[in-house]
Amino acid sequence: MNADVHVEKTIQLKEFTFCKYQLTTHTKVITLSFPQLLQLRKNVKELTRHHSLHQIIDADNFVLLFVADKQHLIYLDIPQLLFLNKEIESFFSSFKSVLI
Amino acid sequence: MKTAVRKQMTINPVVMDLLNNQIALEMEASASYLAMASWCDQRELLNSKEFFYKQAEEEREHAMKIFTFVNDNGGAALSPQIQNVNNDFESLRSIYEASLDQEINVTQSIFNIFKSARKEDDFVTEIFLQWFITEQAEEEDKFRSIIDIFDLMEGMPLKMIDERLPKE
Repeated sequence: MNADVHVEKTIQLKEFTFCKYQLTTHTKVITLSFPQLLQLRKNVKELTRHHSLHQIIDADNFVLLFVADKQHLIYLDIPQLLFLNKEIESFFSSFKSVLI
Repeated sequence: MKTAVRKQMTINPVVMDLLNNQIALEMEASASYLAMASWCDQRELLNSKEFFYKQAEEEREHAMKIFTFVNDNGGAALSPQIQNVNNDFESLRSIYEASLDQEINVTQSIFNIFKSARKEDDFVTEIFLQWFITEQAEEEDKFRSIIDIFDLMEGMPLKMIDERLPKE
């Protein structure tokens, strides 16, 4: 549980303006356009597949990921990678509005 | 569809992923038809070679149609990697049978995307895919008719069968 909380603090994705998003890691703040966000979603989805995760664990146990048209390089360990995947998917998954 | 990125995209993200898989499938089919065209071309099967060259182009057009659709609706179309294209065939008939199998796979994949679009209330994709459903029914029919010709002309020289086959 504590590990999750720690991860949550180090990586955050939020909508910045209408078409800009902000990815905050423990070392930098990266502004993403929507196509760059789609590219990040694709890369993170591929890395979090069962097979890819096994490969990462068997190798160095971390990944270096290019972000925002290769302008930034971020370091992610497995919990951070999984958390980032969840964080991105929350932007893309459907939600139901609740009227109170 | 209600997602945080709805302002940027008209199509559903889940459906977009499936459409990208479909692009890859159509391009794989195109590459496969090109290999078949080459096999026929080397053996002077003139009608069949023309037929498969056209099929290869047609499949690429299908892929491009989906490709531009994804980008036009705010998504990200991905140029696919094509690997393991089979260039070895045992007979002309087996080529047409493999083609029918391939078309059936493509049709099933379109059906799955259609179902997914319906489930996610992605009406834009649903309407877009209607053309593909009609097209796939025609494609399957075309290959079944050709295989029927093989059955009818069983035992005849290959060149003679080829002359009875359609060029497109």
